[in-house]
Amino acid sequence: MADNFLFHEVSDKEREEIKKQAKCIMDSFSEKLSKVDKEMKEPTIERKNCEREESSECDCYEIDPLGGTSTLKGTSREIMFGNAPGKNADFIIAEKGGWRE
Amino acid sequence: MSVKNYLDKIKKENKKINAFLQIDENAKGSGKGKLAGKVIAVKANINVKGMNTSCASKTLENYKAPYDATVIKKIKDEGGIIIGMTNMDEFACGGSGETSAFNPTFNPAAPGLIPGGSSSGSASAVAADFCDFALGSDTGGSIRNPASHCGVVGVKPSYSSVSRYGLIDLSMSLDQIGPLAKNVSDAALLLSVIQGKDDKDSISQESKKIDLKEVEKIPKNITIGLLDYKISDKKIAEVINKKVEMAARKYGWMVKKIKIPYIDLAIEIYYPLVYVEFFSGTRKFDGRRYGKKIEEFAGPEVLRRILGGSEISKAEYAGRYYHRALKAKKLIEEEFSKAFKKVDCIISPTVPRLPHKIGSKISVEDMYSYDVLTVPANLAGNCAISIPAGKIEGIPVGMQIMCDRFKDEKMLQIARAFEKI
Repeated sequence: MADNFLFHEVSDKEREEIKKQAKCIMDSFSEKLSKVDKEMKEPTIERKNCEREESSECDCYEIDPLGGTSTLKGTSREIMFGNAPGKNADFIIAEKGGWRE
Repeated sequence: MSVKNYLDKIKKENKKINAFLQIDENAKGSGKGKLAGKVIAVKANINVKGMNTSCASKTLENYKAPYDATVIKKIKDEGGIIIGMTNMDEFACGGSGETSAFNPTFNPAAPGLIPGGSSSGSASAVAADFCDFALGSDTGGSIRNPASHCGVVGVKPSYSSVSRYGLIDLSMSLDQIGPLAKNVSDAALLLSVIQGKDDKDSISQESKKIDLKEVEKIPKNITIGLLDYKISDKKIAEVINKKVEMAARKYGWMVKKIKIPYIDLAIEIYYPLVYVEFFSGTRKFDGRRYGKKIEEFAGPEVLRRILGGSEISKAEYAGRYYHRALKAKKLIEEEFSKAFKKVDCIISPTVPRLPHKIGSKISVEDMYSYDVLTVPANLAGNCAISIPAGKIEGIPVGMQIMCDRFKDEKMLQIARAFEKI
């Protein structure tokens, strides 16, 4: 299907077509990649010297989209665990919609 | 040229180019530093405090940046003058400059044809002489592609060498901010200012500082790898081959053809990654705290990526799309790593085809194929530059020079040597 790429508002009908088309494109791409499945390895995260030590002082900012930034208190771990809807000693239990703002 | 002269020129000529979405009538700099008096245009997805970072979308039409991106802070600290925000493909989704919600950008170097994208306005602004240089962002070729079509220089720095703090992301595992300029020396100057580690971008790393004097020296004992890749437009291949032959003869450089296995799968690897990461990154545009809900105001290409990304990241498809693409990305990285043990740089056309007419009907697959030679550098994290190589019937053709990760200075040196031929 050929069309021009100029911006226009999208109707509900076109939205459905776009969704189907996107899935179709992704299917064809995935099929091509599946031909080299055997040659692929699991991606690894190369940390080397890139791992950062968390400072005891807070270096976290909250960005207000309407202007300015404010510094948050505590380490980023404490802030994240403080906001978490459910937690254990070393992990956070997150549910969709459960995270408080 | 002074800021006032540039502003006058923009006011007079921007209507026919549409390179700028917003200009700063009161633009001024400190007058001190490496960029003192230099006038810089900024792609509308990079935050400049007080300016409209709209991403050329109705979603963020009235969004004013509350802070400066790290690259902007660095530019201002060195006396650079930010003159305005440039047009682009909506949320950087596009390679033609046509998908902006505020009308397409026009190509000053090839009237009637696309300028390329997604940093369309930045490339056009440089080509139209509206500024000294510009900033763009490059996820799969968004700096190099428009640089090629507009006949200017565009650099995608090594992944993680320039901070993305303050960039509205398309795909965080691939995005990189970089310069567009009228020549290699100017691009090197701007890159030398914006590079460096930044704690606000967790993946950023310190890399070798670019020495501008070194960039001007002709490098010796260079082995060029001429990419062995079939391009249907033979005229484009001829322009590149001729340029490489001239450089080899003049400088005594060696040339050998080089194949990069799996490079023909670059598009198939790239787009699943972008669809999923873009879908994830746009969840913040829900219209509650600022802007509008993206799904209700975005154009077709943005929606394609959001709806496609939402679909293929469902748990039921685990391992089939994103994860498979991630694994294949590693293959490309490894092949480039092997190639750079044999050659100093890899050269190809930047774009394998000439730009189409603005508003032409074109399939999604054909549109995506514009990126086939630029995407690999993003997948491998290498640095890459596009420089003007010649013209075909008056249409600019760009040549891409790729070097290994963090070899940005060597890449600029080779590019500068080509420029001196």
